[in-house]
Amino acid sequence: MEKFLLRITVNDEYHELYIKPKKLLVEVLRDELGLTGTKRGCNTGACHACTIFLNGKTVKSCSVLAMQADGAEVRTVEGLAEGAELSPIQRSFLDHGAYQCGFCTSGMLLSATALLAENPTPTVEEIKEGLHGNLCRCTGYNSIIRAVKAVAEGKYKGGGNGEI
Amino acid sequence: MAKFNVINTPIHNVDGIAKVTGRAEYTFDVSLPQMLYGKILRSPHPHAKIIIIDTTRAKALTGVKAVVTGQDTLGVKQGIWRRYKELCDEEILAKEKVRYIGEPVAAVAAVDEDTAEEAMDLIEVEYEPLPAVFEPLEAIKEGAPLLHENAERNINVTRHIEWGDVDEAFKQADYVREDWFRCSSQAHVCMETHCAVSSFSPDGKLTVWTSTQSHYYIKVLLSDVLGLKENDIRVISRYTGGGFGSKFELDSAQFCSAVLSMKLCKPVKIVLTREEEFMATKRRTPMFYYLRSGVKKDGTFLAKECRVFTEGGAYTAMGATALYLTGFFQSFPYVWPSYRYDGYRVYTSTPPTSAMRGFGAPQATFCAEMQIELIAKELGIDRIEIRRKNAMYAGYEVPGQATIQSCGLVECLDRVEEWIKDRGKMPPYSGIGIAAYGFMSGGIFNWFDTPYAFSSAVIQVNIDGKVDLFIGSQDMGQGSNTTMSMICAEELGVRVEDIRLHMGDTDKCPVDLGAWGSRETLMQGNAVKMAAADAKRQILEYAAAKMSPNIVYDMDIKDRWIHLIARPERGLSYFDAVKEAIRGKDGQPIVARGHYTPHRKGMISPAYSFGVQAVEAAVDPETGKVRLKNCVTAHDCGQVINPLGVQGQLEGAIAMAAGYGFTEDLPMDDGKILNPNLVDYKILRTTEMPETTVMEVETYEPEGPFGAKEAGEGLTNPTAGALGNAVFQATGVSIKDLPITSEKVLSAIRAKKTKK
Amino acid sequence: MIRDFIYIKANTLEEALDSIDRHKEDYKIICGGQSLLILMRQGLVAPEYLIDIKNVKELDYIRYDKKDGLRIGATTTHRAIESSLLVKEKYPALIDMEKNLASLQTRNWGTIGGNLCHGDPAGDPGPLFMALNGSVKIASKQKTRTLPLDEFFIDYFETALKEGELLCEIHLPPIPLRTAVAYEKFNIVKNDQGIVSVAASISLETDGLTSKDARIVLGAAAPAPMRAFETEKLLIGKTLSSGLLEKAGERASEEADPVPDVHASEEYRRHLVSTLTKKMVKKAWEDAKVQVK
Repeated sequence: MEKFLLRITVNDEYHELYIKPKKLLVEVLRDELGLTGTKRGCNTGACHACTIFLNGKTVKSCSVLAMQADGAEVRTVEGLAEGAELSPIQRSFLDHGAYQCGFCTSGMLLSATALLAENPTPTVEEIKEGLHGNLCRCTGYNSIIRAVKAVAEGKYKGGGNGEI
Repeated sequence: MAKFNVINTPIHNVDGIAKVTGRAEYTFDVSLPQMLYGKILRSPHPHAKIIIIDTTRAKALTGVKAVVTGQDTLGVKQGIWRRYKELCDEEILAKEKVRYIGEPVAAVAAVDEDTAEEAMDLIEVEYEPLPAVFEPLEAIKEGAPLLHENAERNINVTRHIEWGDVDEAFKQADYVREDWFRCSSQAHVCMETHCAVSSFSPDGKLTVWTSTQSHYYIKVLLSDVLGLKENDIRVISRYTGGGFGSKFELDSAQFCSAVLSMKLCKPVKIVLTREEEFMATKRRTPMFYYLRSGVKKDGTFLAKECRVFTEGGAYTAMGATALYLTGFFQSFPYVWPSYRYDGYRVYTSTPPTSAMRGFGAPQATFCAEMQIELIAKELGIDRIEIRRKNAMYAGYEVPGQATIQSCGLVECLDRVEEWIKDRGKMPPYSGIGIAAYGFMSGGIFNWFDTPYAFSSAVIQVNIDGKVDLFIGSQDMGQGSNTTMSMICAEELGVRVEDIRLHMGDTDKCPVDLGAWGSRETLMQGNAVKMAAADAKRQILEYAAAKMSPNIVYDMDIKDRWIHLIARPERGLSYFDAVKEAIRGKDGQPIVARGHYTPHRKGMISPAYSFGVQAVEAAVDPETGKVRLKNCVTAHDCGQVINPLGVQGQLEGAIAMAAGYGFTEDLPMDDGKILNPNLVDYKILRTTEMPETTVMEVETYEPEGPFGAKEAGEGLTNPTAGALGNAVFQATGVSIKDLPITSEKVLSAIRAKKTKK
Repeated sequence: MIRDFIYIKANTLEEALDSIDRHKEDYKIICGGQSLLILMRQGLVAPEYLIDIKNVKELDYIRYDKKDGLRIGATTTHRAIESSLLVKEKYPALIDMEKNLASLQTRNWGTIGGNLCHGDPAGDPGPLFMALNGSVKIASKQKTRTLPLDEFFIDYFETALKEGELLCEIHLPPIPLRTAVAYEKFNIVKNDQGIVSVAASISLETDGLTSKDARIVLGAAAPAPMRAFETEKLLIGKTLSSGLLEKAGERASEEADPVPDVHASEEYRRHLVSTLTKKMVKKAWEDAKVQVK
């Protein structure tokens, strides 16, 4: 089975990999690049735990063929902080206890980051819609919504990786 | 001055950085050199004899390293009720017979997942299908197919609870009503599915990384089934991606990966797919409920009779506990002068039913609260008033069962009543429903047959003042790591950042029974507090020697400051004291231990939490669709330890319990689950979550650390009932068959219109 | 698990059509893959050749002409449609439909062409585009043809696309004067696929009261999105009244051919068809009236 060259920039690092074309983007990120922060929770594209940024837009990495990300820029949860400096939404999550078991958290952070990048002052309704895809079984979502609202209200300025 | 320095402050969860940066390594993420991947072949039949399993073709596939069946195991029937051998009925890898669709019959280890999956298609199993039975009321009939030879009429377990003279009391009642309810099943839907990486080495030692709620249980159960010594097995579970009751029994990923690894001396990883998770892991116990209640015309409760048949599924699992607890909590949180409960757990050819958050109490509370609402309506009594009139109180003894030491129920009722009044009049087809509950803070019964204290803790204070805290409890998201760090810090007189926590590893941590029955805060918390108190005592011993205060003075440590309580300005820094104390002990760190096992605490639990929840819902009369608008909960968990944690637990419980109430279900057709995926199994998303308000009612529980009780499981009890009552208030229809779907609501509304 | 396949990445429409033609015996086209990948992961679909058209930029466009209407290239993402100011101005019903479709992540990568070709009777765009009298442009290496959407959906997950053909474009004609369209689906969890859905388009006469034309399309109520022709007939040449709405709802629920499943019984689905039909006809009618003013 012919392998293909995948050229991909992940969290500002450029990689060249030879992969089988059936590999999913999430498999490349987790298994080839060791970035296990992005999780998988289902087989039907329903849970969105695998959400990452692909060329600036959030997608389910389990539902994208890795080869479709050839030449693309990807950002995962590991790329939200800048060294020890967490991004505003990460800091807000800590303050609001917006995670419990933590398995959905990476996806939530990515979705929240995307929402705030596009709409810096969302209403609660808009936050709910922006995070709608991401399933969480532990928190009942409201702490996550509060965390996003706090960032929207300007309580966390700067830090982390502004480049999405 | 604040009562506590650490307790009840909104600190960051101690695992926060790991979780928000993607650093937390779950079993799902574990990868080891030379690791193989395993897959499990499962029975397509609900009840069948296994005639022969031919694994030749599978073994011959390139990349397949081993294929095992029940014949490759010791064939030990295991179960979590280890004290009662007759209830240990599950082999996991079936040898002679399969009893549910999804039961494992073979397992493969291969170089990658795809190869393992391909190999499964090459395993040939010849079955002789047997007649099956799926409903408990069918399975209990004479002549129904028998699932287990020793279980006549498929009766697995029975339970009986009784006090007072129920029959006599009914005679005194002014009003008697009986109702039948059907409580559905529910899937846990942990975001991390069941998974394990087992690694057996030539020195005869087995290491298992697994997503679990109790590494201790898994270690002992593996020892039971593999024939290895308990302590030649090491179970590691630093982070668990959700549990909710699904992960403290031995599961197929753990067992099959261990068997394969022992054969190959290589690590084997098995991760259940989401479909396997739905089909073949344990689930909430469905129950057929009969309730008969007798009351005085002023609403005083007199007599309650309860009969329950639970759908046991193929094996006992934790179903025996759910059977008892549902009967016990059926009487909660009220004073019933006479009560009688008979419960029957019946084997059926369906996936085993077991423990899920609430453990039989959400089912009980749903039925009880829906019936009380109807009683109140019939008698023309205010629904808060009827509950207040009969509410449990501190000091009440549930005859022969429990002593309620702390109870803030009445205040909870008052607070919710106030909120409802403020809400004002509801528009048409909107309503507020309420439900009251009580729940256990850990169980007293040693069905696991452990010789160890139920919880233990070890502390080591080091030269730089950093405190190593070794605990056996498991954080599955409920926040026990943070709670224990807070309890330790408060008791010892330091800060949470001074605590270095060690957990999730049976090689390094003392025994704790695990995170179930909402036991960690009370039981592990008490053990931690005891250890911290001892460490403090040792440090104060040194400090007293150094300061030589008048004998009448007591000393304490608060926020790293050792001082005379009466003269807090006189003291010394904790850090200085520790340095010198260790020098004075021949360079030995300060070591302290603590433990806790409930003794003489009744039949169920040392302490009970209480609460009242109000759900405001709007019903669309055209479609029957229910929309949750508000959910307000007044609850008494004694002393709140971790306020962010408690709020999170409450909101998460609401989402889960509301799902149980109206969106989640596991419909089956001849033992086959019809919606084993997250598209067709509907859990709440952000858009279905109501606004939530928490009202803390503070009490002091003498059994709990700093007066604390549970706050995680009890909160799942009331929502289905409150939701059902909201629908009743909004439409006049009482749906007694969970889940309360829009279709059922519409049917009931139309039927009511027709009757008029 | 996904079976191995031979991967071909097309960068132009010509390359795509050429590859499809060469491998027409056993191929599948992937663009967004939001539906296809799930089927492939479950082993339900396992082509020998997978032709990736995600990079065919010439099919990624949204164009509008006053006389011609709206043309959307097949590889346009749902998100692009949802964010288009052009669409918002001229065909606002599409914005609402897209906003309620699946999740943001799905819409960021999934395409309108992929959605239609999947042929799910519960899909949202199909019924709405049919109510808007839409058609599709289909190309093969040999020729190009257009087909009204009414004829595009054949059965469950089966469309009129033949071997070697590729969906290129969706065309929605300009919305006639005094016409409005409404679409809604019934679900319990927001953005989930509809248990049933209804799209209604109502055109009024110059008097602004009498209906001139009606298109009623039922989604998830039959093996394919279906026009409720008899319901349409009884709506034409009438004025709006609650009696008319009742009749229309009843007729639509009789015309529907829903299949029960774990989510809803047949009876409940028919009831929902009736309820939604009434609601959508009323909404479209009233919106059309407003236009007249």
